Amino acid sequence: MNNRAHDFAGLGTAFGFLLRRNWLRMLVWVLILAGLIAIVVVSQRQAFPTQADRTAYAAIANTPAVAALTGLPYAAGSLGGILVIKIWMTDAVALAFAVIFLVTRNGRAEEESGRTELLRAGSLGRHAYTLANWLMVAGFCLITGLACAGAAIAENLPSYGALVMGASFTGVGLLFLGIAALAGQLAQSSRGANGLAATVLGIAYLLRAGGDLAAKHDVAGGLSWASPLGWGQAMRSFGSNNWWPFLLLAGGALVFCVLALRLEASRDLGAGLLPDRAGARTATAFTQTPVGLTLRLQRWSILGWALGIVIGGLFFGTVSTAMANLLGGNGAPAKLFLGGIGGNVLSGLLDYFTMAEALLIGAFVVQSIATLRVEEADGSVELQWTGAISRVRWAVSRVIVPAVVSLVVLAISGWAEGASCGAAIDDPAQAGRFTAIALAYWPTMLLLIAITVFLTGWLPRASLTIAWVVYGVFVLVSMFGPLLKLPTSITRNTPFTAIEQATLKASFDPLPLIVLAVLAVILTALGLVRLRGRDFVSG
Amino acid sequence: MPDTLAIDIKGLTKSFGSAHALNGLDLAVTTGTVAGFLGPNGAGKSTTIRILLGLLRADGGTARLLGGDPWRDGVELHKRLAYVPGDVTLWPNLTGGQAIDILCTLHGPVERARIDEYLQRFELDPGTKARSYSKGNRQKVALVAALASRAELLVFDEPTSGLDPLMEGVFTQCVLEAKADGQSVLLSSHIFAEVEKLCDTVTIIRQGRTVEQGVLSELRHLQRATITVTLGGSPSALEQVEGVHDLAVDGSRVTFSVDDSAMPAVLSALALQSPSALVSEPPSLEQLFLRHYGTVDASAR
Repeated sequence: MNNRAHDFAGLGTAFGFLLRRNWLRMLVWVLILAGLIAIVVVSQRQAFPTQADRTAYAAIANTPAVAALTGLPYAAGSLGGILVIKIWMTDAVALAFAVIFLVTRNGRAEEESGRTELLRAGSLGRHAYTLANWLMVAGFCLITGLACAGAAIAENLPSYGALVMGASFTGVGLLFLGIAALAGQLAQSSRGANGLAATVLGIAYLLRAGGDLAAKHDVAGGLSWASPLGWGQAMRSFGSNNWWPFLLLAGGALVFCVLALRLEASRDLGAGLLPDRAGARTATAFTQTPVGLTLRLQRWSILGWALGIVIGGLFFGTVSTAMANLLGGNGAPAKLFLGGIGGNVLSGLLDYFTMAEALLIGAFVVQSIATLRVEEADGSVELQWTGAISRVRWAVSRVIVPAVVSLVVLAISGWAEGASCGAAIDDPAQAGRFTAIALAYWPTMLLLIAITVFLTGWLPRASLTIAWVVYGVFVLVSMFGPLLKLPTSITRNTPFTAIEQATLKASFDPLPLIVLAVLAVILTALGLVRLRGRDFVSG
Repeated sequence: MPDTLAIDIKGLTKSFGSAHALNGLDLAVTTGTVAGFLGPNGAGKSTTIRILLGLLRADGGTARLLGGDPWRDGVELHKRLAYVPGDVTLWPNLTGGQAIDILCTLHGPVERARIDEYLQRFELDPGTKARSYSKGNRQKVALVAALASRAELLVFDEPTSGLDPLMEGVFTQCVLEAKADGQSVLLSSHIFAEVEKLCDTVTIIRQGRTVEQGVLSELRHLQRATITVTLGGSPSALEQVEGVHDLAVDGSRVTFSVDDSAMPAVLSALALQSPSALVSEPPSLEQLFLRHYGTVDASAR
């Protein structure tokens, strides 16, 4: 018993230390997640001002695409129900990601860097830091839930429904806290832990998509019960307001955390349960080239992204036909969903999905080019830059990989989307058409690379933070710009929506592509020049 | 005419913001010799080395490396040198063997037999993923890659800080062989015994400035020897002798330091006090080093 108490010695100190390191990060997440709720309530109240509008929307809200992407609508005749359709899934998935990143950042990543060793060698108990981390993240989930509920109540939505919605966020957050905690024990690297937990999140999303597509009336199919996101949806906030699925989420979180603690008690510091296999004793000739090395270092990441994006393309292509049939014509809801874009509904939908795919590929591109700065910050460039390779050649090898891979993945994703849609409407020409449309986003990918290269050259220490913020703003404005009531002069001119606009026109307008490509070349060149001329800057 | 200096630094300055890392540092390494580079933490050793390697750009002064400008001619010069940093960062999901091949390729053709020889001598398993390596093993990866490269100049920044004494011995042997092969070596180190064993010349820096530079045997000459002796007569007689410093008396046992120039006078004075069990120690590098930092009274040891 005494030993048990020892294991948790220093819990309070660890908690305070963790809070100091993470409070700002958590505050930003809470503000974004709760802010989205407030903004979407306001915009939907404007879009559906009368009960008649909402009732009309309810009649057509339940389409396969909405069910698959954002969850089965169940109370679309009320403002609260519409809020859930529009933003619940986004907020829940974003919170799950935030939780996964936080748990890993203060868990496996600390252990990997050796800081945990230093802390445990002090008077800190074996589990104190881990438990303090989980408690802090659990508090973060609770506050996020309360803030989201508060935002909805402040906008005059029913309090009880708002509280259930907040609790559903908290519950989903807690469950992914448990999953991330377990992943942090199983994997040996922080990347592995993040990857493992994010994979579980992805599977949870697909499972409930299957469940929601197989719904009878407004009751989701059995697959949803295999998914924690499905449990959160089953709370049906602003509908029947069920509390009991929260017990599943909180109970699941507890089980996973206890399991993770037991694993931590039985393993060595720094070790994972999934062991490292011995590797090759020599490098292949390909790995010895700069481009080959880049590909070798990123191969699993590239494969994972490519696979996910192809599955996404097939999925979008399949559901879009069903959705277009149900929307039938150019009704107001269709326009709202598409951000007011006119024209053929099916083709508009597919263009929109193509942009969504391009946004995903953009995340891969930023992650891949980020190694440019990551390797400098962690010091591994020291041995490379002192070899007989110029910094520019070295950097170009890191640029070529995301540039070429994004070109290939864009083509495949467009082809997958067009082919699966073409199969549904007996039009094989769609495959080629959407391959071409997807490829139009290549200059956008080059621009994302260029921005990161430029920042790495000129603002090395802040570069990656700024690069991800810029990408995040592109995503937010491109996907949710109309929902957030931003002026069209902005929403139609992001590097993503500008391409979407260009591909929608009857005669293809290459101007945005040229502008983006020229910008990309200029920024890359400026970044490389500075990288060659500046000092080495460690992390 | 070949350049006789592998490294030639004069009056080097470098600032990071308002912090002056180097304030006119001098350093010379003659081709084919091993040069020691000493200084406490934060004195500017790693900054100097990073300027030599073209990772940082000097603010002022001149730095010549193998006859070229380390900033402008970096890529060409790097073919002719190999570097081992004090803290080696590798790619976590590649094995040590793969990292060695990649690092060797950056300097020239991979000589498999030579790599295997050094792998064996340093007892390194090349099949292990780098993230499982200890600090010492990561250092061995960089050492094997550098030593196997046949570079004209080897630059080591505290290369043995993670190695056990046995492996330190292997490293010493490897450096002596490199010197015999005509390679030049710059060795930044905190281990006096290692520097004394290996280095022909020594440069000691403090706060970004060179405070002592020269051939090790000559530097010793400038310093006081330490004499320990048992006296039959009165130890206090020594107090009056010119050139005796830091006299410490423990019964009949006496310890003091002597200026080289005063040695004859001191020895004649000693002879009058029936000395026995006399031990004279030449000044150690440690004393030389500590004299410039004044943290410990070097001659008292």
